[in-house]
Amino acid sequence: MELFLLVLRNLLARPVRSLLTLLGVLVATGSMVLFLSFGEGLRRALFQELSRVGPAIQVVPEGAEGFVFGALPEIPPETLKALEEAGKALGVRAVVPTLFLTRGGFDPSTSFFFQGLPEGTPPDLLYPGLEAREGRLIPSEKGAVLGAKVAERSGLALGSVLRLTPRLELRVEGVLEETGGLADNLIFVPLRAIQEALGTENVTAVLVALSPGQKAEAVARALEEAVFGVKAQTTSEVMRFAERALRISDLVRFGISLVALVVGGLLVANTVTMSVYERVREFGVMRALGARRGFIFRLVLMEALLIALLGGALGLGLGALGAFAINLYTLDQVGLALSAVTPRLALFALGVALGLGLLAGLLPAYHASRIPVVEALGRV
Amino acid sequence: MTIRAENLTKRYRQGEKEVVALLGFTYTFPPGATAVVGPSGSGKTTLLNLLAGFDLPTEGGVYLGDIPLHALSEDERAGVRLRHMGFVFQQWNLIPTLTALENVAFPLLLAGWPRRARLARAAELLEKVGLEARLHHLPSRLSGGEQQRVALARALALDPPILFADEPTGNLDLEAREQVADLLFSLGEARTLVLVTHDLELAQRAGRILHLKGGRLVREEAPQGKG
Repeated sequence: MELFLLVLRNLLARPVRSLLTLLGVLVATGSMVLFLSFGEGLRRALFQELSRVGPAIQVVPEGAEGFVFGALPEIPPETLKALEEAGKALGVRAVVPTLFLTRGGFDPSTSFFFQGLPEGTPPDLLYPGLEAREGRLIPSEKGAVLGAKVAERSGLALGSVLRLTPRLELRVEGVLEETGGLADNLIFVPLRAIQEALGTENVTAVLVALSPGQKAEAVARALEEAVFGVKAQTTSEVMRFAERALRISDLVRFGISLVALVVGGLLVANTVTMSVYERVREFGVMRALGARRGFIFRLVLMEALLIALLGGALGLGLGALGAFAINLYTLDQVGLALSAVTPRLALFALGVALGLGLLAGLLPAYHASRIPVVEALGRV
Repeated sequence: MTIRAENLTKRYRQGEKEVVALLGFTYTFPPGATAVVGPSGSGKTTLLNLLAGFDLPTEGGVYLGDIPLHALSEDERAGVRLRHMGFVFQQWNLIPTLTALENVAFPLLLAGWPRRARLARAAELLEKVGLEARLHHLPSRLSGGEQQRVALARALALDPPILFADEPTGNLDLEAREQVADLLFSLGEARTLVLVTHDLELAQRAGRILHLKGGRLVREEAPQGKG
């Protein structure tokens, strides 16, 4: 007959109300876990990807730090030339200009991500470990090499024709082995083809591969000094930027889930408040028998905490289940697990649920502990 | 243990009007049973509220031996009640989600007894009031008389020297009334029992009867063959 048992008995005495409140907290926590699991999954996938990217330095126009995907081609030929000369002078292994083009919409099965590389540049210089499963690894002047996942979901095969513009066609010349990385979702094409499609001579970024023994930080700073108007980012700088961006997106997603959390909290507060009003006499009896105010306070607060924690734990399970289902889909479609329920997310979710219970329970608990005994017993 | 009430007065406001619920009540309750009788509104319940420390007097004080109950904080008064007082109410006031055994063990939980010891003590008390077959029944499954016997067992859980009973037989049928009254007087014999009642027949079983009227103590009597 410990305090916990008293709390549990009271919740079980009103099963429907307790269950509905539990469901409210469950949905609120579950949706928060699901929202935040995207950030965790993205973080994991991104850092795995960045850690195996070949070139240690990515040069972008100044003020365009971060990722090159989706960025506008703003590096003109003269800047590229200056970078190539500076790279040669610094003794780097390779200077690779690259250009991205996206075609399609939100559905991964109809979206295509093209990466343009200078003719003769092997894609495995950028994504080490790439191998051709069929055909060639390096696309020719009018050819394209498909990542494994693109080939799988688009149904394209060797000899298929890709049309970048009404007049520009590329023929599939190779399909790559699956790596479980970003390259599985890319189509490697000649740089010139994308430049022609976009009607520009510019490139999006310039990737710099280092020679053995070279320090990325030192080379990056030397490139910035040698060429005006560029930012040379090392992999760790990109990672830092990515972390910052992900944190902001985490906050936005947490903000969205806050609405559900507030509703969940109000449900708990409502249930506990009603329970307090219904049990005024019971609390009076306890006080008459010798219970101190703190005992009643703990009793009510524990009720809120128990329901919130139970709802939180079940919500965490629901969120994890949702994340698992999403990963099944994204793994199938793009070969990446984009959602992850990490231990820190699980702890955070349980912490939020507990905080919710605490906030929802404090006021009713305080009220219950301050009811005068004579009033509670109806003896006025 | 004696309870001493000194010039106990309770006034409260009802709208614009001041109501005097109890006025200048002075009495020392010695060990043994004392019945407090009087018509409705005579101040019986107010007196019990003040003696038990449920409420504070407007004037005067209550002393449990040397302890000035009226000068203590709410939590200190709760502590005094736990250690020194037992209660039997007209409405039984059992905790509905606890079984008979757990209800009796409740004061022991508050006093910090270990679980095994509390349940053993509660079972022993329930046996004393003839409810050994009802240990695991919820109050809703017990008759009025049985609930009152559970309440009596609960009042005795910590073996308090003072027992308060407020209309303990008020809601019971004739048979249950006799049974509860017998138990109350036999188990309360060695204690200071303050019995508030309308029932003059029940009051006659006490050693002393205090008559209240209009918030004042108007008469004290010792029933024939008592005191």
